[in-house]
Amino acid sequence: MKITLKDVSFSYTDSIDDAILKDVNLQIESGECVVLAGESGSGKTTISKLINGLIPLYQSGTMAGDVFLGDKNTSDMTLAEISKYVGSVFQNPRSQFFNIDTDSEIAFGCENLGIEPEEIRRRIEKTVEDFHLESLLGRNIFHLSGGEKQKIACASVNATDPDIFVLDEPSANLDLKTVDDLAEIIKLWKSRGKTVVVVEHRLHYLRDIADRIIYVKEGRIECEWTPAELEAKGPEYAASLGLRSIKLVQLGGTGVSPAAQRGESITFRNLRFAYQRKFPILDIPELSLPKGKITALLGHNGAGKSTLAQLVCGLRGSWSQKRAARKLGTYLIMQDVNHQLFTESVLDEVLLGMNPKDESAALEILDSLNLKDYVEKHPMALSGGQKQRVAIASGVSSNRNLIVFDEPTSGLDYRQMLAVSATLKALANRGKTLFVITHDPELVLNCCQHVIRMDRGRIVEEYSL
Amino acid sequence: MKLDPRTKLFLAIVANSVILSAPPVYSVLMFAVPAILLLFEKKWKFVLAFFSLYLAAVLGFEHLKTMDVGRVGTLAVSTMMIVSRMMPITIVLYYVMQTTKANEFMAGMSRMHVPNKVTIPLTVMIRFFPTVFDESRAIGNAMKMRGIRLFSLHTLKNPLTILEYRLIPLLVSITKIGDELSVAASTRALAPDTRRTCIVPIGFHVQDAVVFVYCIAVIAFVVVSHI
Repeated sequence: MKITLKDVSFSYTDSIDDAILKDVNLQIESGECVVLAGESGSGKTTISKLINGLIPLYQSGTMAGDVFLGDKNTSDMTLAEISKYVGSVFQNPRSQFFNIDTDSEIAFGCENLGIEPEEIRRRIEKTVEDFHLESLLGRNIFHLSGGEKQKIACASVNATDPDIFVLDEPSANLDLKTVDDLAEIIKLWKSRGKTVVVVEHRLHYLRDIADRIIYVKEGRIECEWTPAELEAKGPEYAASLGLRSIKLVQLGGTGVSPAAQRGESITFRNLRFAYQRKFPILDIPELSLPKGKITALLGHNGAGKSTLAQLVCGLRGSWSQKRAARKLGTYLIMQDVNHQLFTESVLDEVLLGMNPKDESAALEILDSLNLKDYVEKHPMALSGGQKQRVAIASGVSSNRNLIVFDEPTSGLDYRQMLAVSATLKALANRGKTLFVITHDPELVLNCCQHVIRMDRGRIVEEYSL
Repeated sequence: MKLDPRTKLFLAIVANSVILSAPPVYSVLMFAVPAILLLFEKKWKFVLAFFSLYLAAVLGFEHLKTMDVGRVGTLAVSTMMIVSRMMPITIVLYYVMQTTKANEFMAGMSRMHVPNKVTIPLTVMIRFFPTVFDESRAIGNAMKMRGIRLFSLHTLKNPLTILEYRLIPLLVSITKIGDELSVAASTRALAPDTRRTCIVPIGFHVQDAVVFVYCIAVIAFVVVSHI
């Protein structure tokens, strides 16, 4: 099914003057796979919402121009009607589930469309076979990993068999291995003649699938390339546009283990954890983090990285481990920073952990993290990156020596990733030791000095960059 | 042992009204039903924990209620009373939440001709409980790390701050999740005016009849013994 955007402008406010999209014309042919790329706030997600009908049918705002699916104008359709033709997958795996068990979730869209139960069961069976989901059936969705949830989300839209698939940053929370699974799914859709539109920062996994990469900037379609054309222009060109690398960045170590060139380091011993004695989640006899340096922790979803972070930060583990963590002073910057901001102003947030409370020192810390202008603001009113820096400021102010980051750059564009990287470097310069859990090779290359890779609860590789 | 969602709804309503309005003795008659049904679901650990706590609260209350226990003791005794009165309700709700899938619930409601406009928000509520627990746990972790303890000199002096610390992040994150959830649901054809199907067959069986008859018998018994 063909998608046509004709002179579309859209503004999230009442006035078309603050339009986030300006006179966009775009035609996507049936069976094409198109990537919408661009910096955060460029309007690429808005284009995806125009295609799946959320604009103008769900999102309020001001719209000009028309969007056609085939020859139907979306403004004459209902969302339920559009969902017969367009299936959507979103960024956050936590919040796109209506059911608690996987089977019902895969059936959900079909049930809403009023398809006969017999037919739904047949479709589920086919989907499970195509996506290799046998092991995920009958499970509680709250117990699945991010990658598994995203697969179920894809399966659920697949079961309704739409002509068009719209994916909004589907890989933001996924590790490299699950990103490959996602690529396989998109390939399968394409081979069946479906039209696929992907909004993405990470481009490498779409290199062999996408027909076109469309670059959106400040609400306009700036230019477009085939993946080969973009690759030929070189990584510097992509970076100058704020795009992530189209080639998967390979991390190569010098082969020297940090132990060999170690200066002072923070050492943890006996990091072990298991829910059941026979199945250890984590089994690390010794972990050394070079002091004042940035160490990256890599590994697949489910390798035990988060458990390790919780042990190191004293959120799990034996009483003595918790006490050791307190004595050392560890701090975790969570992936969802909303969980760790409590007070009514940025300044209070920093003062909260301070003992004794010293306002001038707090202001100095905020200044060093470029938060001086937001001192009186409510932390929840800030942007994602600013919230992250407030959380960091509160860790610094409470005199923690080791700061652990859980996926600090998931879903960020190139420029935002560089900003986080600069913050991390500044912290290391202050003498803090940093331990960064990440799937982002570009971040690692930008700021980390050491890399530790984990698999199945063990450290399998350590090297310096 | 599977019950029809409509039976569960009926059970929940009858159980709650009996537990809240009749003397505590009668509530045993009601919460025995979900307890037995939970045993069929192999939730024996939960049932055991529930009964131990319940018995402790009831016996403690009965034993201490006439004694002079001082100010702290009175607080403890009244907590026991609240626990013993509220727990039967929790087990009924726990059973319904644990065993009812969202699609079954929606199908049951539509068979009773309840409009989707009422059903959809109720279903979202069921979906939301685990989310709230999940988020709350993460926030608890963050508080621990900041050194904000549930019981400290500071929080004892300002009990409201602890509520604030917990609630603000919780509200922000569940509002966001709620919004994203409704976006995701509306792109998947969930709308007030559609007719849904359901892959889980629902319908009344012998066990439903047993529960119905039992509930009516308990109501009759309560009413008769009060006249």
